[in-house]
Amino acid sequence: MQDEFEPKIIAFCCNWCSYAGADLAGVSRLQYPPNVRIIRVMCSSMVHPNLVIDALTNGADGVIICGCHIGDCHYIDGNVKTENRADAITLMLEDFGIEEERFRLEWISASEGPKFAQVMTEMVDTVKELGPSPYS
Amino acid sequence: MVKVAEEWLNICGGCEVSILDLGEKLLDLLPSLEFVHMPVLMDHKYFGQIGEKSELEIPEADVGMISGGIRNEKERHVTEEMRKKCKTLIALGSCACYGGIPALANMYNVDDLLEKVYRDSITTESADNPSEDIPPLTDKVYAVDEVVDVDLYIPGCPINPVIILEALTCLLEGKPFELPERSVCDDCPTLRKEKSDVGLKRPLQDAEFTPGEYDTLRCFNEQGILCLGPVTKSGCGKQYDAEEQVVPRCVKGFMPCRGCFGPIRKDAKPLVDMMTALSSVGLDAKLIDDRRALFNRYIGAQNRLRPLPTRVRR
Repeated sequence: MQDEFEPKIIAFCCNWCSYAGADLAGVSRLQYPPNVRIIRVMCSSMVHPNLVIDALTNGADGVIICGCHIGDCHYIDGNVKTENRADAITLMLEDFGIEEERFRLEWISASEGPKFAQVMTEMVDTVKELGPSPYS
Repeated sequence: MVKVAEEWLNICGGCEVSILDLGEKLLDLLPSLEFVHMPVLMDHKYFGQIGEKSELEIPEADVGMISGGIRNEKERHVTEEMRKKCKTLIALGSCACYGGIPALANMYNVDDLLEKVYRDSITTESADNPSEDIPPLTDKVYAVDEVVDVDLYIPGCPINPVIILEALTCLLEGKPFELPERSVCDDCPTLRKEKSDVGLKRPLQDAEFTPGEYDTLRCFNEQGILCLGPVTKSGCGKQYDAEEQVVPRCVKGFMPCRGCFGPIRKDAKPLVDMMTALSSVGLDAKLIDDRRALFNRYIGAQNRLRPLPTRVRR
């Protein structure tokens, strides 16, 4: 029997909005695939492109960065920096030969538990369709 | 007397010339060295002098130096034999340390390469792949440390003779040798202002400077000329009497760094770091052609360059 491909997704969630959103998804007992590994960071803007590339070249099949909505950042404009960084990351993915769908940036507030579950489900589906990372 | 074996693999030979470039210092060193195997200088055959042996054989040595990466099975075999027979193994030059220029070929499959070289190229009469009496190619270009353990790395394209002398002297005296974890920028004397106020220039456009005066030269990246200094290990400019500030070799010739000394740390990703450096200077990385090859010019082995997967969707 051949097992179905189960991707590993790394989710970087900011402490103030998205991690609380993930928490809400949990306490509300919303269903989402268990392929997601959440890493809590103080702000989405502290996720250096190196971390994303490292994850994708060392076994992760997808990376998602979640932060507060623009204007809601605990550090005022951290997520604006994240947005700029995301553009650069997309460019680097091209250079590393990694499909750009494997990386995603999403704003999830503390009250958006259902959105968190939905985004994670979508991400897992997308990556499942792509198959394992070319570096795995 | 220290026995030295030297072997050249997938390489141009420039690093061997660099050893000779030690000049008179080599004469001081020679009495304590005995070269037992060195294809570039000596007639020493692998299978005995008249081919009487059935196994490849390299004499025992205290210090082994390998220049060049590994491109075919013979080179892999020689590397393994060198490791067995040498107590200390030195990877000499960028090709041995990181794959070097030949490792740019790692962007393509071997089949694609052979197809291009023997058939697709317009200026070549098409022919079959040669197969008789030659060792098969490996699937990609390997750095020496991907095949065997390496004790000491001396990068550079070509290497700086001063560094060889230093490394050999350290080995003779039993001292540790390592290049510092500094970037070329740390040693660069050029003027750094803030952001670049000009866009990217084309690679052959000249920088602005007054000849002979480094302090009139503004940082190349800020001038819009790509320089790999921010992500490249320093040490290329080393001189015998290193009392004054050591200017990196290329900057000394008023040219931007090309990155031959390789990444600053072993696990660094110059491609990512360079993009960060460029955006902090204010250049748009999107406008740079062929970033992959450009930022991995000398370091394509160790999985840094690989063929793009065919299922990439655009």
